[in-house]
Amino acid sequence: MAMAALRREGRRLLLSPVSYNSPVAARSAILSDELGPMGARSVSTQAVRNRMKSVKNIQKITKAMKMVAASKLRAVQVRTENSRGIWQPFTALLGDNPSVDVKKNVIVAITSDKGLCGGINSTSVKVSKALYKLTSGPEKETKYVVLGEKGKVQLVRDSKNSIEMNITELQKNPLNYTQVSVLADDILKNMEYDALRIIYNKFQSVVSFLPTVSTILSPETVEKESEAGGKLGSLDFYEIEGGDTKAEVLQNLAEFQFSCVLFNAVLENACSELGARMSAMDSSSRNAGEMLDRLTLTYNRTRQASITTELIEIISGASALTG
Amino acid sequence: MASTAAAVPFWRAAGMTYITYSNICASLVRGCLKEPYRSEAVSREKVHFIVSKWADGKPEKPSIRSDSPEA
Repeated sequence: MAMAALRREGRRLLLSPVSYNSPVAARSAILSDELGPMGARSVSTQAVRNRMKSVKNIQKITKAMKMVAASKLRAVQVRTENSRGIWQPFTALLGDNPSVDVKKNVIVAITSDKGLCGGINSTSVKVSKALYKLTSGPEKETKYVVLGEKGKVQLVRDSKNSIEMNITELQKNPLNYTQVSVLADDILKNMEYDALRIIYNKFQSVVSFLPTVSTILSPETVEKESEAGGKLGSLDFYEIEGGDTKAEVLQNLAEFQFSCVLFNAVLENACSELGARMSAMDSSSRNAGEMLDRLTLTYNRTRQASITTELIEIISGASALTG
Repeated sequence: MASTAAAVPFWRAAGMTYITYSNICASLVRGCLKEPYRSEAVSREKVHFIVSKWADGKPEKPSIRSDSPEA
């Protein structure tokens, strides 16, 4: 059982593979990282002590990162919840059409720039890839716009021909609407699209993040879909003031809708990123603590074993002299 | 006076999108504030990100869009 515990420790400590031929040799090999000359007589506790020091440092760092993420989260969470009201009027007016079937799709995948935030970037990329498969077909075209380094790195592996734009360093200054709207403007100017699908992690609570897709239709698609009836069909009942035509209004609305929805999506993703980082750092601090406990036990065992060995040597030497 | 074509607002004819137009209006409003609130508002206007377009699966040279919030 002790051997099993040591073996587990060996794996966790990521040491190079050692053969477990004899208990003593194995123990000293794990703990001192090398066999002394003529076999393992001097069992060194130095390696364990070094390991314990580095694990303790790592635990301090991850605890600090967790607190930083928690404090940032509080501020961003308030802004996120306030920004949810920005896109609700659009959905009330235009409805939500996630299953619209169009020729040109642009998938905007929102990921983070920094790592150590758990699995949220992988889930976003997974959803993007699934959506890509769903929206591809004959005569259809789907492209990616990737926000954030982590998403780019994952998507480059197998879909690099479909990436159209990549945006990084978005969070260098605190997020504000102007920045996101300039970004939205850039995307609108450079991409042709019939439908934009924004993929982000919606922030439900500190421990739960839902990958979500928001769909925004281009004005032409809105026209086409309004023939099918439903919310879009009843747009004609509205009276338009100010001398703009319906097409004009729809164009303005589409652009503004994209900007607002993107703003909310970026905020929600930032919130989810901070929450995921908090829980990742929390579990890593806990793991570091457990590792430290195990290492302490091993250290004490080794220390006692070496003391015992010395005593035995002294006593047997003394008895050889007298006897 | 473009009366035959659909009446396009002046900013759309100049090539701006609605987003750019509303951003310009917003920064004009922010410029009307008095001092302590003005610097807070200006900090809400900062823009910084790096865009890189891709062609044929390869990224082209990235371009930095920074500081001036207007296009």
